[in-house]
Amino acid sequence: MSAILAIGRPQLKSAFASVVPLAIFLALLGYFGLRAPGFLEPATLILILKQAIPTAVLGLGLSIVVIAGGDDVVAGGIDLSVPSIAVLSAAIIADQLANHGSAAVTAVALGFAAAIAAGAANALLVTRVGMTPLLATLATSTAYIGLSKVVTANRRIDLSDPLIVTLRDGSILGLPLGLAIATGLAVTAHFAVHRSRWGLRLQAVGGNRDAAEIAGLKVRRFLAQSFLIAGAFGGAASLFVLARGSGSTPGVAETLLMETVLATFLGAAFSPRRVVTVWGAVLGAILVSALSIGFGSVGVDVFWTGCIKGGLILIVVAASALARRSGT
Amino acid sequence: MTAPVLPLTPVSPPAGASDFLVLEAISKGFPGVQALDGAGLGVRAGEIHGVVGENGAGKSTLIKVLAGVYRPDAGRILLNGAEIETGSPDAVQAAGVRFIHQELNLVPHFTVAETIFLGQELSGPFGLRTGAMRRAAEAFLKDSLDAAIAGNRLIADLGIAERKLVQIARALIDGKARVVVFDEPTAPLSHTEIEHLFRAIDALARRGIAMIYVSHYLSEITRICHRVSVLRNGRNVGLVDPVGPDDADRLISLMVGRDIGDLYPKRNHAAAAPWLKLTSLSQSPHYADVDLELRRGEIVGLAGLIGSGREELVDTIVGLARPASGSISIDGRPLRSGSTAAAAGRGLAHVPRDRRNDGLVLAMNVADNINLASLEAVSTGGFVRRGAATTRAQQSAEALDIRPKTVSTAARLLSGGNQQKVVLARGLATGASLFVLDEPTIGVDVGAKAEIYALIERLAAEGAAVLVSSSDPAELLGLCDRILVLLRGRIVAEVTPETTDLDRLVALTTGGDAAGGIAA
Repeated sequence: MSAILAIGRPQLKSAFASVVPLAIFLALLGYFGLRAPGFLEPATLILILKQAIPTAVLGLGLSIVVIAGGDDVVAGGIDLSVPSIAVLSAAIIADQLANHGSAAVTAVALGFAAAIAAGAANALLVTRVGMTPLLATLATSTAYIGLSKVVTANRRIDLSDPLIVTLRDGSILGLPLGLAIATGLAVTAHFAVHRSRWGLRLQAVGGNRDAAEIAGLKVRRFLAQSFLIAGAFGGAASLFVLARGSGSTPGVAETLLMETVLATFLGAAFSPRRVVTVWGAVLGAILVSALSIGFGSVGVDVFWTGCIKGGLILIVVAASALARRSGT
Repeated sequence: MTAPVLPLTPVSPPAGASDFLVLEAISKGFPGVQALDGAGLGVRAGEIHGVVGENGAGKSTLIKVLAGVYRPDAGRILLNGAEIETGSPDAVQAAGVRFIHQELNLVPHFTVAETIFLGQELSGPFGLRTGAMRRAAEAFLKDSLDAAIAGNRLIADLGIAERKLVQIARALIDGKARVVVFDEPTAPLSHTEIEHLFRAIDALARRGIAMIYVSHYLSEITRICHRVSVLRNGRNVGLVDPVGPDDADRLISLMVGRDIGDLYPKRNHAAAAPWLKLTSLSQSPHYADVDLELRRGEIVGLAGLIGSGREELVDTIVGLARPASGSISIDGRPLRSGSTAAAAGRGLAHVPRDRRNDGLVLAMNVADNINLASLEAVSTGGFVRRGAATTRAQQSAEALDIRPKTVSTAARLLSGGNQQKVVLARGLATGASLFVLDEPTIGVDVGAKAEIYALIERLAAEGAAVLVSSSDPAELLGLCDRILVLLRGRIVAEVTPETTDLDRLVALTTGGDAAGGIAA
C-alpha cells in the first residue's frame, strides 16, 4: 500500500502539472465563448491570430535561446532583451521612414542591422565575458530601450508607408499576409530546431552541457548562435510590431516582454517532453492573445487583466517546477 | 534485463601478444603533489585490463592523461605502435579511444536514438532521419550489447543500467572504437544489472577491443579482468597476470602497503546510552535497512566506496534528504526527517564534505562564520553585539589554533585545514551534542589532519557523539571506536580497530572479502 502511494504521488503531481495549465486556458476560452457570443466567430479568431504575431515571432527567438541554454530560469538560457531589440529596430525603421525620408529597403536594413548587432552584443556578454544570460540581457534590454527612446525622442511615430500597410492589411491566398509570413518563419524555425542535425545538437547543449561537450560539440558556438538568432527574430518582429501599431509607440516593450516569456514557457507545459519548443512558443503566443482579447470582450477591467496574466505565469512556472521535481 | 544468466568465464587473454595500447613512463605533477611518477600501462587487443589503487593512487590522473585532459610532464602514449599526441582530447578520440565515464551525462528528454547518434546524426534532405536512427540504434544495442531497448524511449524513463548501456552504445556507434575505458561502471548498478553489463563488456572483448576497467570493486576486477595493474602513490607496484577469483587479497596488499603511524591520538571513551539511533533506515536505491547506534563520547565511523550509499545516508541523517522508510531518533525522541533545521534544533552539527561550497560563507570573515549558527548567544533584541561576537570568535579561534589568528580575515583566504577548523568551531559554538563529519580531512595537509583528529577526539572526550563518514579507511581505523561498513547500500560489517587491520577493512569496503560478496 505504501509502495503504491510512493509511486502514485509523483505521478499524480506530474499529471497535475501537465493538465492544469491547458485546463485553465480551455476553461477560460469556454467562459469567453459563453459570455461574449462573438468570441468564437472566425473574424475574432483571425484577430486573435493577427494580434499574436509579434509575440509569436519573439517567442521563436526566445525559445531558441532557452533550448540552447537550458530551461533553468536563473542559470540557463534566457534573453529578456528580444522584445527590446524589436522595439529598437522598430524605432529605427519608423524614424528612417518618417523623419529621414529613407527608402523602405534602407530603413528595414538599418533596423535589422541594429537587431543583429544587439544579438551579437548579448552573445559576446554571455559566451566571452561569461555573464549569466539573465543579468546580461536584463542590462542590455534596458540599454536597447534607452536607445530606442533616443532615436524617437520617446514620441509616437505614425507610419503610412506602403510596406507597413501591406503587412497589416494585405492578404495572400485569402490568408492575411502577416499571418502567412509568421507561419513561414515558425515552420522554418521548427524545422531547424526540431528536425535538423544542428537543432538536435542545439537541444543537447541546453539539455546537458557536459554531454554535449563529451559528444565533441562546440558549446559556446551554439550559445552564441542562439543569441544571434534571437536578435534576428527581434528584427523580424519589429516589422510586425510596426504593422500592429501602425507605427512605433513608446512603452510597448514591457507588455511584449511579459507576453513573450509567458508564451514561451507556457509552450513547455504543452510539449510531451515538458520542455520549451518552437511550436509550444507559437501556441503559447496564440493563447496569450486569446486571453487578452477574451478579457476585453467580456469587459474585464484592463487593470485586472495584468493581475490575471501575472497569476497565470505563476501557475505555469509552478506547474513546470512540479513536473521537474517529479521527473527526477 | 531478463536475458538468461550465462556462465561468464573471461576469454583467455591473447597471451604473449604485444600490447595494443601502451602508456609509457607517464609522470604528472600538480602543485604540492606528484600524482603520477613514471606510471605505465599496457593493454592487449581483446583484453580487459583492470586498474586498481587507493584514492589518490593516480588512477584517475592516468585515465585523464590518456583522455588528453592532462598533458603529462613526461612519458608517451602508443596505440598499435604509433605515438598519439598527448594533451589533445580530439587526437585521442580520432585514434579510436572511448571513455565510459562514471557520470552518465545524458540529456534526460532525448530519446535513446537521439542520444546514441548525437554528434553523428543521420540526416537527409528532409532533415533528421528519425526512423533510420531509431532502427540503427535498436539494432546496435541488440547486436553489440545484447540489450533490447526501444529507440524512441526517453532517457528519463530508463533505469540506470539501461542508461549505462545507452552510454556505451553512444561511445561505440561509429564503429571506430579500438580502446574503451570504463571508469567505475558498476557503482550505481544492482547485481543482475552488473551481470548484464559484464556480458556486454565480454562481447566487446571477443570483438578484439582493448579495454581498461577502473574500479574499486575488487570482486568485479578479479572476475572480469584478464590482467590487473596496481598503482600506489603514482607508481606501478604490481601487475597481476593472469588475475583469478582468489587474487583479491594479493591486490589489497599491493594497494595498501603503508603504515598508519602515530597520526591518531589515543582513545579512551566511556560508553553511555545510545544518543543517535537509526532503525531500519531505507532509501531505495541508495541504502536499505540501516541500523546504527551512537553513544555520547563515542566516535563511530562509516566506511564505504563512492556509490555505496554512504553519502546518501549521511545526507539523510543531517536532514538534507528524506528516508523512504525507517526512523532516526536523538536522545530517545524521533527526529523529523528531511529538515536540517529540525536536526540543528536537536543539537546536530553537520560538517559537510564540500566545505568550501556548503560549509562556509567564503566571503564572510572567520568571526562571522564561527558565530553564524549561534548568533542569539551574542545578540540583544535582534542586534548582534559586535564586540561580544568578536571576542567569542577570537577565543574559539585560539582554542582551535585557527591560523591566521585575526578573526576578521575572510574565510576564503584560509587553508583547507583551517577552513575545516572554522566549520568545527561553529558546531562547537552551538553547543552541539552530535557531530556528523563528512570527509573531515579531504584536501587537508598532513599537519592539519593531525590537529583536526585531535579536535574530533576532544569533541568526544567532552561528551559529544561523533559520526565520521570517510573514504579513507586508514583515517577511520585511527580515529573511530567502531566502524560500520556499507557495501551497495547495506551495512555488511561492524568492526573495531583492535580486531581489524587496513587490509581487512579495504577488503570489506570493496567486497573483495568472501563474506561480503559483490551484491550482499
